[in-house]
Amino acid sequence: MPAPLLELEAVTCRFGGLLALDQVSLQVEQGEIFGLIGPNGAGKTTLFNLISGVGRPTAGLIRWSGEAIGGLPPDRINRLGIARTFQNLRLFARLSALENVLIGLYQRGHSPLLGALIGGRSFRRHQVELRQQALQLLELVDLSAVAQQPAGSLPYGSQRRLEIARALATGPRLLLLDEPAAGMNPIEKEELSALILGLRARSELTVLVIEHHVPLMMRLCDRLAVLNFGRRLALGTPELVRHDPAVIEAYLGVSS
Amino acid sequence: MRDLSLLVQMGFGALLALSVYLPLRCGQLSLATPGFYAIGGYVAALLSTRWPALSGGGASYPLTSLALELLLAALVAGAVALVLGRPVLQLRGIYLAIATIALVEILRVLNLNMAWSGGAVGIFGIPQPFDGPAGYALATGVLLALTCWLCSRLEAMRLGRAMSAIREDELAARCMGIPTADVKLIAFVLSAVIAALTGVLAAHFLNTWNARQGSFDASITTLAFVVFGGSRIWLGPVLGGLVITALPELLRPVGDLRLILFGLVILVGPILFPQGVITPEGLARIRAAVRRA
Ligand SMILES: Nc1ncnc2c1ncn2[C@@H]1O[C@H](COP(=O)(O)OP(=O)(O)OP(=O)(O)O)[C@@H](O)[C@H]1O
Ligand SMILES: [Mg+2]
Repeated sequence: MPAPLLELEAVTCRFGGLLALDQVSLQVEQGEIFGLIGPNGAGKTTLFNLISGVGRPTAGLIRWSGEAIGGLPPDRINRLGIARTFQNLRLFARLSALENVLIGLYQRGHSPLLGALIGGRSFRRHQVELRQQALQLLELVDLSAVAQQPAGSLPYGSQRRLEIARALATGPRLLLLDEPAAGMNPIEKEELSALILGLRARSELTVLVIEHHVPLMMRLCDRLAVLNFGRRLALGTPELVRHDPAVIEAYLGVSS
Repeated sequence: MRDLSLLVQMGFGALLALSVYLPLRCGQLSLATPGFYAIGGYVAALLSTRWPALSGGGASYPLTSLALELLLAALVAGAVALVLGRPVLQLRGIYLAIATIALVEILRVLNLNMAWSGGAVGIFGIPQPFDGPAGYALATGVLLALTCWLCSRLEAMRLGRAMSAIREDELAARCMGIPTADVKLIAFVLSAVIAALTGVLAAHFLNTWNARQGSFDASITTLAFVVFGGSRIWLGPVLGGLVITALPELLRPVGDLRLILFGLVILVGPILFPQGVITPEGLARIRAAVRRA
């Protein structure tokens, strides 16, 4: 059996006295849409930080197609095929939407130095191609109309989608989405969910998504994991997770 | 003649401003420029006064020797920047600024006390490759034009885009696969090379070189060029370097008032134009207005 695309083995992360993640293990298979839910402060973003190289695990292993990647710097991790968005939006605010995506295309933007310096024909052709790719990505997230506007001036929902386009530009096999629907209205949320499903269908993308909107997650995800106080409570299909007594108590609330 | 000399100094100002601008273009407040400028000057002063073979037989110092000095100064400064850059550029913001000021100071004190750098008096009688300021104006103009061209090409290249990304949000840039440490190092090395090349021309132009050339004052002045002109597009530092170098001379007719006026310009500039006089948006507006007219 091939190694899972992403595998966490007893991953622990400690901030001083605070145990943000406590021996979390899970596996994400190629092509899955895998959800991560849990109350505020459960450690979801911390988990993304460890996977994307923004933080390093105190203990435990993170494997990417079988290779240990825990503790590698974020640029290396991205080049291995893992891209992320940020819960608190970290766009290049003063740059245009188009430039944000062009920066995501950095790895594909390589051209010979001399050609670039003299602005030769093949360099210019390459730049036109890059712009077209960037525009296509903006089109995909329905932002072509605002391509030239500064990213920081866009409405919240558009900024969230721009973060997705920028992450996709890096050509990932795994996309980490940290609360992509936060601040979106119900229609935008539906469109987002369709976008994620479409991405998976078209480019065999694997998606790991954090979101508080539970009904959306139940519909979108193939499997879910529930975190609470840094511990993984339940793991499985939405149906299974919904009926897990520990989850009902800890997260879905007394109401159910 | 006076005017041409002023032009040369304005050119030096613009070049040093571009040297400060390049690291700032990727968000790195490095004040090491005067240090590398001093290194360039010492390379030129030492080679041209202590190595007779370079002087040739003719009346003026050979241009080929000048070219050799430029090459060596670029190599020395580039190598120093490459070695120091890695550790120093891990510092951020004001910490980087202080560390680079410390570098400039260490270098100044060394130069002040070493026998080979002429100690406090410095090095005199640096030979002249040109017989007047016109030659220097031309050489400085060429170097400035090349540097501007390099900076303008950066805007079109992915390296320039990566630099903008780092300035906006370094962590996000890293998460987009950009090797930020390398990009910052490239900017730092280019900055050092530009400053050192300027130092070579300045040493010949001034005819003498000493430890005062690379001082804390110079760090602040060169920073003022960029704060005044703007650090978001290369035209900003060029304008800042030209104007602020020229200002004390242009204000000479008003006598003692000039220092006050000079201070006022440096003070009022950033208040009226917090991003510097020249910004990409401002340029776009001007371009649009010109097209309409
Ligand atoms: N760099 C850090 N230093 C110290 N503590 C941290 C750091 N990052 C996160 N924490 C703490 O770790 C815990 C988990 O935080 P995390 O951001 O992962 O939660 P989360 O599940 O994403 O919550 P939310 O739903 O609010 O986004 C919190 O108590 C938080 O304060
Ligand atoms: Mg979070």
